[in-house]
Amino acid sequence: MAELTYRDAVARGIAQEMERDERVVFLGEDVAKAGGVFKTTVGLYERFGPLRVRDTPISEQAILGAAIGAAMTGLRPIAELMFADFLAVCFDYVANEMSKLRYMSNGQLSCPLVIRTGNGGGVRFGAQHSQSVENWTMMIPGVKVVAPSSPVDVIGLMAAAVRDPDPVILHEHKALYAFKGEVPDGEVVDTLGTAKILRAGRDCTILALALMVPRALEAAEILQRDHGVDAEVIDVRSLVPLDTQTILGSVAKTGRLFTVEENPRLCGWGAEIASIVADEAFWDLDGPIVRITTPHIPLPAADHLEDLALPSSARIVDKVRRVLNG
Amino acid sequence: MASLKAATAPRDQLQNDDIGLDARLELFRLQVEIRDCEKRAYDLFLQNMIKGTSHLSIGQEAIAAGFGVAMRKGDKSFCTYRGHAHTLARGASMEGMLGELMLRDIGLMRGKGGSMHLTSVEHDVFGSYAIVGAHLPIACGAAWRAQYLGEKDVSVCFFGDGTTNIGAFHEALNFAATWKLPVVFVCENNLYMEYTPIGEVTAVKHPAADRAAAYGLERILIDGNDADVVYRTALAALEKAREGGGPSLIECLTYRHSGHSRADPAKYRPPGELEDWLKRDPVVVYRGRLRDFGVAQETIDAIEAQSKRKVEVATEACKASPPAPVELLTKDVYADGGWAWRN
Amino acid sequence: MPQLGETVAEGKILAWFKSVGDEIKEGDDLFEVETDKVTIEVQAIVAGRLSEIRVGPGATAKVGEVVAVVGDGGAAKSAADDEAPAAKTAPWRSPFEEVSTPTERYGPARGPNGVSLTPVARRLVALHGLDVAGLVAEAGRRGAKKIDGPAVRAAIAARPATAPTAPVAPLPAPSPLPVQNGDVITLNTVRQRTGERLAESWRTIPHVFQAIEVDFTAVGRVRRKHKEALQNAHGISLTYLPFIARATCLAIAAFPQVNARFDGKELTLSRDINLGIAVDLDHNGLVVPVARDAGDLTLIGLAKAIRRQIDKAKAGKLSPDDLSGGTYSISNNGAFGTTFTAPIINAPQVGILSTDSIRLKPAVVSTQEGDFVAPRMIGMIGQSFDHRAFDGAYSAAFLSRLKQILETRDWVEEISSDL
Repeated sequence: MAELTYRDAVARGIAQEMERDERVVFLGEDVAKAGGVFKTTVGLYERFGPLRVRDTPISEQAILGAAIGAAMTGLRPIAELMFADFLAVCFDYVANEMSKLRYMSNGQLSCPLVIRTGNGGGVRFGAQHSQSVENWTMMIPGVKVVAPSSPVDVIGLMAAAVRDPDPVILHEHKALYAFKGEVPDGEVVDTLGTAKILRAGRDCTILALALMVPRALEAAEILQRDHGVDAEVIDVRSLVPLDTQTILGSVAKTGRLFTVEENPRLCGWGAEIASIVADEAFWDLDGPIVRITTPHIPLPAADHLEDLALPSSARIVDKVRRVLNG
Repeated sequence: MASLKAATAPRDQLQNDDIGLDARLELFRLQVEIRDCEKRAYDLFLQNMIKGTSHLSIGQEAIAAGFGVAMRKGDKSFCTYRGHAHTLARGASMEGMLGELMLRDIGLMRGKGGSMHLTSVEHDVFGSYAIVGAHLPIACGAAWRAQYLGEKDVSVCFFGDGTTNIGAFHEALNFAATWKLPVVFVCENNLYMEYTPIGEVTAVKHPAADRAAAYGLERILIDGNDADVVYRTALAALEKAREGGGPSLIECLTYRHSGHSRADPAKYRPPGELEDWLKRDPVVVYRGRLRDFGVAQETIDAIEAQSKRKVEVATEACKASPPAPVELLTKDVYADGGWAWRN
Repeated sequence: MPQLGETVAEGKILAWFKSVGDEIKEGDDLFEVETDKVTIEVQAIVAGRLSEIRVGPGATAKVGEVVAVVGDGGAAKSAADDEAPAAKTAPWRSPFEEVSTPTERYGPARGPNGVSLTPVARRLVALHGLDVAGLVAEAGRRGAKKIDGPAVRAAIAARPATAPTAPVAPLPAPSPLPVQNGDVITLNTVRQRTGERLAESWRTIPHVFQAIEVDFTAVGRVRRKHKEALQNAHGISLTYLPFIARATCLAIAAFPQVNARFDGKELTLSRDINLGIAVDLDHNGLVVPVARDAGDLTLIGLAKAIRRQIDKAKAGKLSPDDLSGGTYSISNNGAFGTTFTAPIINAPQVGILSTDSIRLKPAVVSTQEGDFVAPRMIGMIGQSFDHRAFDGAYSAAFLSRLKQILETRDWVEEISSDL
């Protein structure tokens, strides 16, 4: 066992896979010699060399396009998009190319690639560099989407993503890069499409993703200690494929569902899950499904304003308490 | 490594035939078959047996044929939605191509993709791409793979003059030139970007050739209607890439006889333009070329007759083919063949 | 992984009976698989060398996934095949039913006094047969605005313990549209006759049903161990049914009243045991051919006799003799994964045994070292009996003996004498 930061876990996950399989290559802006603008890929260039770890020009379309072309012809590339907001710059490759080539070619073409990208806010980068956009990628049929909340999940889900034969978008969270967690020694491999119940409870189910996970856990402690509410907290981890069974099982037990989402309100990932639960688990519900989200606004740069916008543990506690008592 | 400039210079046709009779017959056969097959596609569209849209390459056959003969097995083609000619030129069957246009089970992708997405990995056609410019970076990726693994194949991407103004074009050219990737960029300049003359929307006269210098590449502008010229240029560019010399950007001047797509009767062309270009019809040019090299009329006729027979056989096979079974609706979204997004 | 049931999506391989390198013949048992509905052995459908096992014991595979390769596996695969399952998965859901909308409806969401009920409250109220009008009125009097899950659960707990909580069926969905007639299915003669007989039995016989849980682990072990030898020696595939039939015959020896005929006044015990085996003719009727003198047959003998009668039934070759003279019957429902079945007695018999799915469940095993929870093969054995012929205690004792025989008999000795 070792304690590792989330950012070091990124490098370790990539290295683990590059070590295992020669076909794994890595490209992105400032990822090689500089070790990444967030220092997430330090050491890879030195360890694997300039043929396997490559710096690119500022060309998001070329980065994703090249990853697709390489994956299609035999490699297992990992491509970095420095900020998840930049998905908008090269979204054609997610929406129209990597997600649809297998289907349109009747199974002849495949894109076994991973896009890893710095998602999320809370780090004062302003509206164009702080968005939580995992929901943008969730809504395209043909890709898989994961968002780890801890260092061990970063490595495990990175490994699972690289080994998966489909295109996977792995949303790292910028505000979690310094976050520390225990990681076992040796190879760590997880499974896509699995959620994790981090805290078992009886009174309500709280679903969270990435940065919202530690906040939900903190809120659950306060709810128990100060308000006698025993909340079950689930880290969704994987938006596509979605572990609906774990979520439905939890709602069957508690009858109350809350989601904590960093994306702006409309069409956030929780909206889809709320819809599934309201449909399939209607007769298990003991009250309305409530989504706790960032408001539907661009994010401000000023600290106090950005902190107001993103769901905080205090806001989670307040909302859950009021809704359960209502 | 022969310089591409030398390759494209006019030659004394009867001396030292560097191309050889076999390659010439192949160049002719491909152009004729592409022409006949595309004309049949035109007819089938009018009969409503081909639905949706179809972008024909009538008039642009020499480029597909020239590269088709020059490329080796393993060299990879990346095309646009005007990809029928290139797919046939790599050896895909007529019934596979026509069948896909007719959205039948016999089609190359069993009707899943349609006219704009012709793919036959078996024939090294790694997709036809409908988003303008999207495949240029993808071709770079395929070339990067060859470079990384030390494999000797070259990736060739074909696109139109309109593509040279989209962002992905510029990203791909810079990327390929910087990394010295084994990729060849072939611009088929048929003078019109969809319905607009290319000159009206481009800052330079030759949309690809005049931009090569911006990426440190040689300016290559050739007659795209002479299959020999295309063939020689292609060989030189492929060899350069294969030997580690990096990418090439080739602009082929050509003309399309029909509209941009089946929906377009092309009334925007100035009078006389079409007639002028028809005189330089690549199939007509090449028929004459073969005669110049002493090929018997009977041989030429046989190739043309065989082509027409093949088109008939393919058409009947396609008409007899059923549409794809409904199970294909949800097949192959993911690698496991399924479409499951939840458990 | 074969398709094991309409809604089964995956199976867990419990054990492999062959190893990599073994030569497989068509029909050989390859592995035992457990799904959430049934536990069965899967046979090979081709012959060849087992060259690869991809999903090992204890692991789960989706229906349609390649779990092993017999032969050389076909054309050379690319490296990419290492990660992806080679076979396509079977259809998992309809693309137009991506979410399973429940079809039940459970009563109104709001009472006349404006008190509302949460969905789970409505469901619990209906399922536990609570008096919803009374609940709603009482809540209104208290000034409560809603009735939720905890409130209903409290009401359930507060009920007097003697009141049996008979589950109440959910209310049918209200249909504002007139009912549309669907297809008309005419019952064939066999089904009609069977139906008439069953209705008559049901009307005249006071049925009481009892069940007992049996641990089949030991039986299962013996089965597996000797399957191949029995196949070779006798050409039969040994299922659980012969064991149950044999144990039934042995138990009848101690409890002869279950093996009798009742005419309303007199119970005539039968010296012979003519065991009827209920055979489902592919959902096209039910026949109960009889294995005569079952009490005189060994386990193997019974297996053969049962097999013969079932084959004749399915081939439509039963004679009137085959269908008469039965003194006790067995209804075997294991294939469909049910937990227990309360079958209808074949008058003039006085009892019928039912067996259902036998599968791995956690059970408490007592050893000298203490009590432990272990996975055991558990199945329910039930008996519907004519309460005029004997009473519950007798039936229970019979079942208890039957259980004891199944769990503790030396089946190996039983088999060995026939091999």
